[in-house]
Amino acid sequence: MESILPNLLNAITFGFILFLIASGLSVIYGFMGILNLAHGVFYILGAYFGLALNNYGVPFVLASLGAGIIVGIIAMIVERVFLSRLHKQLDEQVLITIGFVYIFTTLARLIWGSEAKLVAAPAIVSGFVNIGDIRYPLYRLVIIAAGLAIAVGLWLLTEKTRAGSIIRAGMDNKEMTMALGMNYGMVASIIFFMGAFVGGAAGFIGLPIIAVHPAIVFDILLLSLIVIVVGGVGRIEGVLLGSMVIGLIDSLGKAYFPDWSYFTIYLAMIIILLVKPRGLLPRSQ
Amino acid sequence: MRFVKTIINTAKLYMAKQQNRPAYFVAGLVLVLLPLFVAPYLRDIITKILIYAIFATSLNLLCGYTGLFSLGHAAYFGVAGYTTGVLMAHYGVESFWIVAPAGVLMAALMAAAFGFVALRGVGTYFLLITLAFGQLIYSVALKWRTVTGGTNGLVNVGYPDLGLPWFTMNALSFYYFVSVILVISFFLLYRLVKSPFGVALQAIRENETRMQSLGYNTWLYKYIIFIVAGLFAGVAGTLFSYHSTILVPSQVGILASTLVMLMVIIGGKRVFWGPTIGAIVIIFVEHYSSLYVPTHWPLILGCFFVVTVMFLRGGISIYLIKLLKRVVSLCIR
Amino acid sequence: MHSLRVEGLSKHFGGVNALRNVSFSVETGEHLAVIGPNGAGKSTLFNVIGGHLPADNGRVLLFGQDITHIPPYKRSHLGIARSFQVAALFLELTVLDNIMLALHGNLRSRFDMYRPMASYKNINDKAHQLLDSMGLWIKRDELVEELSYGEQRRLEISIALSGEPKLLLLDEPSAGLTIAESEDIRNRINSLGSDITIMLVAHDMDLVFGFAKRIIVLHYGEIITEGTCDEIRHDLKVKEIYMGSEMGNTLC
Repeated sequence: MESILPNLLNAITFGFILFLIASGLSVIYGFMGILNLAHGVFYILGAYFGLALNNYGVPFVLASLGAGIIVGIIAMIVERVFLSRLHKQLDEQVLITIGFVYIFTTLARLIWGSEAKLVAAPAIVSGFVNIGDIRYPLYRLVIIAAGLAIAVGLWLLTEKTRAGSIIRAGMDNKEMTMALGMNYGMVASIIFFMGAFVGGAAGFIGLPIIAVHPAIVFDILLLSLIVIVVGGVGRIEGVLLGSMVIGLIDSLGKAYFPDWSYFTIYLAMIIILLVKPRGLLPRSQ
Repeated sequence: MRFVKTIINTAKLYMAKQQNRPAYFVAGLVLVLLPLFVAPYLRDIITKILIYAIFATSLNLLCGYTGLFSLGHAAYFGVAGYTTGVLMAHYGVESFWIVAPAGVLMAALMAAAFGFVALRGVGTYFLLITLAFGQLIYSVALKWRTVTGGTNGLVNVGYPDLGLPWFTMNALSFYYFVSVILVISFFLLYRLVKSPFGVALQAIRENETRMQSLGYNTWLYKYIIFIVAGLFAGVAGTLFSYHSTILVPSQVGILASTLVMLMVIIGGKRVFWGPTIGAIVIIFVEHYSSLYVPTHWPLILGCFFVVTVMFLRGGISIYLIKLLKRVVSLCIR
Repeated sequence: MHSLRVEGLSKHFGGVNALRNVSFSVETGEHLAVIGPNGAGKSTLFNVIGGHLPADNGRVLLFGQDITHIPPYKRSHLGIARSFQVAALFLELTVLDNIMLALHGNLRSRFDMYRPMASYKNINDKAHQLLDSMGLWIKRDELVEELSYGEQRRLEISIALSGEPKLLLLDEPSAGLTIAESEDIRNRINSLGSDITIMLVAHDMDLVFGFAKRIIVLHYGEIITEGTCDEIRHDLKVKEIYMGSEMGNTLC
């Protein structure tokens, strides 16, 4: 029984990384109605750019922020140049994100190669901590703490600030928000930037424990999709719930039922889509 | 070789216009005479193109005609392929007349089961659930190692056994075999899209509510076409398991489903021959870039795709038809 | 014999009561108009009768048969046809395809997956008739999205008429049309004969008064009053609702 604690903590750690990625996807989908299938790309680009920055001597935290910014800018350019021109054609917008997956994944492979890459956690938080009987990596606990802090921060941002209320209004009623004078296009670009920023930063934050290589693009995307399907779109609580559920199923599944975890996750996704099509904690019932 | 490619393209473009008997005749001639002019390895690539043409056209029944974008269509392709492969490799069933219908039937049954669930919603919901089902099948292909061989794949033996003692199929006859199945499939599908049922599907895409008030049970239409699309994906999948010596899970999951979607969009989803053209383009691009710039081909594909979605509304075929019409009218002067 | 009878229909959306205990009946062959200011619930009423919206309470009876829980496509088979306020045409299809689809809607042949639609000669002839009467036969191979607005409206009505319905629901048939086009539509509607029961929703009072035997006035989802043209024309409540605009000066 004591062996369950590290697996549980791993699940929560993974859950928070998923949370970071999926919250970006959720806001983009909730606000713009676009299911950004290129979201996994943000994650790996964040990891790669962060690694590049880190190799040039940029300290860990700054590297992750920097990576997030670079990825955010790239995303915003894509949104401005391509997505916004396909105004109101949701199918086309979703499809075109597939094209960008192909483009950016190949570029990443060309620039950085296809071997898996890891980074060492920053020195002050590498190392182990004693919890009960076990020794557990400190960095993972840091991720949990940081994830929690970011979750709370995002929640405060969306629920308690004016900017957040603009976002929520846009999600609930796009026409009204536009009628109230909000520059929808600009807010959309900012949302896209933010979603990509968080996803990209997550890529580097997760890099000490999740190796990056071009092939994980779709895996990341699929997990994020499942998270928002299960948790519901548009609310931070929903994304958090979804990521914890999926984190648990995935990690515990891999630890105890390695042959079935993959299958179980998709089965869970289908069941939720059937029973609660808007997820467990949607914006509106 | 280029010459042959141009002929194929021109022929198939002519077919995009409706009643073009001479064009069909020319295309048929090309199909029949092709192996005489073309190296065996190229002929085999064209066999692959023919198989994917069926696969992509089946997806277009959903996307282009009915407006249902499925990102899990490779599931039916794969289910059929694996069923055929497993029956032959593990159970020693050799007759084509058993394993092929079995494969197609499995694909149709799976489509009937999944479609029932997937059609509970539209738009993004449909996209997500078809994606999930595709990944579900992928996970089975991956993990059920005893049956599917996991990532090592299912190795297949040879060509369809038609049970004719005087005839054993080889790569050349398999090419003709696939051609025949393609012609039959396209005939049936073309009739379908021109029939009241087929036109109804397009109208459902345009305005489902109106169709309901006109007396059409729109859910039933969508469900039926979902099964038909799955069935023909199964036909392609079964043929593929013979064509490809090995069957791997990546031919079932999101990678395969997005690839066939790319064929449909790049080729053109509003034209019957669009997906076929998409298949030709993509498979040739894949082949030639794997020779010269192996790591670049997804990049080329992605750019192609983005350009098509942004600028070539309706895919290459619409654009090429316009081009062809202009050329023809210039020639007439 | 009532062709349509509506009993106690209620429908709310969130906090808004779109329909409140609406009851009325329509005789076979009658021309009934439903009027009321914007948001009165007219479109909701049509959506409920047509089957696109389930009512929270109440019943809808067609020729005595309770159709309250019957889906829209079956209601079409039972003889209800509808035109839509916002053109509900199949834009990327040809005019001919649009009308052919409408004609197949109540026939078994709509499930035909093999014969080309163009080969149905008798349906083709009927389509010819219908389109000709609206002056659209020459445009039959054009895509609907290329038609003018007035032409689209005429097509809209042809489509609604194609199934030889027993009950026709016309939702703002002349919305957005020029004076000449409106008059044209008015004439066509009035020439539709007496076996078909017609319910009309309109803001065009010329159309309403020239067409209706009886008028029902809706306001905030409730029936305020009903009566003949004269009665409605002089009704104080109705004048109040419309704030004495065009209503006072039109003739029956």
